[in-house]
Amino acid sequence: MTGPIVELKDVFLRNDRGGHVFRDLNLTIEAGRSAVITGAAGSGKTSLAELLIGVRFAESGLVILFDEVMKRGKKRIIKRVRKKIGGVGGVFGLLPSLTVAENITLPMVISGVRKKIQQERLLKLLSEFSLLKQAGEYPPNLTRVESYLVQFARASIAGQPLIIIDEPSAGLDRKTYERIFEYLVKVSLSGRSMIILTSEIPSQQIPETDYYQIENGALV
Amino acid sequence: MTRIIFILKELGRSLYRHPGTVVTSLLSTTLLILLFNLFWVVVGTSERFYENLLSEMTMDVFLNEELPDSSLSDLSEEIKNAEGVLSVLYISKEDARRELMHQLGTDLLVGYDSLNPLPRSYSLTFETKYMNLADIAEIAGKLQTLPGVMEVSYSRGWLEKVENTKSIILEIGLVLGVIIFLSALISTANNIRLMTRTRVVGFQQMLLLGAGRMFISLPFFIEGFLIGGLSAVLSWLAVFYGYDRVTFTRFEVVIPALNEIYLFCLATALLGGISGYLGVRKLLK
Repeated sequence: MTGPIVELKDVFLRNDRGGHVFRDLNLTIEAGRSAVITGAAGSGKTSLAELLIGVRFAESGLVILFDEVMKRGKKRIIKRVRKKIGGVGGVFGLLPSLTVAENITLPMVISGVRKKIQQERLLKLLSEFSLLKQAGEYPPNLTRVESYLVQFARASIAGQPLIIIDEPSAGLDRKTYERIFEYLVKVSLSGRSMIILTSEIPSQQIPETDYYQIENGALV
Repeated sequence: MTRIIFILKELGRSLYRHPGTVVTSLLSTTLLILLFNLFWVVVGTSERFYENLLSEMTMDVFLNEELPDSSLSDLSEEIKNAEGVLSVLYISKEDARRELMHQLGTDLLVGYDSLNPLPRSYSLTFETKYMNLADIAEIAGKLQTLPGVMEVSYSRGWLEKVENTKSIILEIGLVLGVIIFLSALISTANNIRLMTRTRVVGFQQMLLLGAGRMFISLPFFIEGFLIGGLSAVLSWLAVFYGYDRVTFTRFEVVIPALNEIYLFCLATALLGGISGYLGVRKLLK
């Protein structure tokens, strides 16, 4: 896909207290490029993720993903767009009733991908994220870091062209953070796009990435 | 195929993790449907009972004294041709006297042989489909107008009571049926909602991954379908078990035809499926 995969145009989003979360929010992400969006706690990072996956809807302005306008009630469009997005952290979580392996392959099951292909990709990701031992475990038995890695694996398995990552470094030790960072660089180089929502700017540069900051409901 | 396997696994997980709720749901639905089945049997049995009673009902057409015997064959033919009349039996004055003597056990007309005041009559029976108050009254009205007919007599009051009782039983059956079916529907939906309440987070995650509502709720549709269908089968087995062991001498117990029972079980299973779907639908908003 060429051209923008994410376009936010003059987005206005109200908060529960009657004020605004976003005011004239504009963002364009071209296919293959990524964005790191930083902001203080409560600045609207998670709200932005929710806007992108159709959990919340803008009062005015346009939210366009993969050339589809995300609007309240457009269930088919939302479903189609969500299949193209992998999510980590924030609103994205694991299904407690499914094993690690089942959680990772779930996006492929939903899309109806053949079992053989699922198993091949699963094995590759389990070894890549050192999760082979945990494949049969249930999420409540995982550590926070393991749970995070499972989410990364799930966000990658179906080759989703866009990954939204909410606070990639939250609570990670240095070693895991470096592994995750390596992964982010790898994803970026693979031609897929990422939106990384974080409180602090990553210490190292991620290739093909633009950097933004949320201030007063707008991106600067 | 992978989706179907996943849906079946989800179904298995749900049944395995909540055996108590599943059994409770199955038993309560079975009991509710058993009540409905029993009432169905009662309605069928009472219908047959009344049919048997009605088959014994006759109508008496009394003739004028002045009507010459030579006109009897024409009149008899006319009555036979009347719509709904099944048989016509002529009762002469002597036959009437014998019948009266039979009923009373003594002949009241001894010594009055030439003065027998009992009228000649025809005793009529009717085709089953005309055995209702409206048709019988219409036939009686028509016969009353025939020349030579003095009076038409039948058990109007009794017929009215029979029809009233029948319609009351049917009305109660209808109301009871609706109540029981609604109860079964709501009970299954609530049980499934209870089972799924702890899994709302999982449902939300599946929606975020692009799963459709049908994909998520299908296991619960199947679960409701199984609970509904199995409950219907169990309740009918209970009815047959009882039927084999209880013998009534006064009347014949009427069990619905097997194809009706199959249809009923299928309909109940479908309703169970719908209630299972409704049980999770609210959680997917």
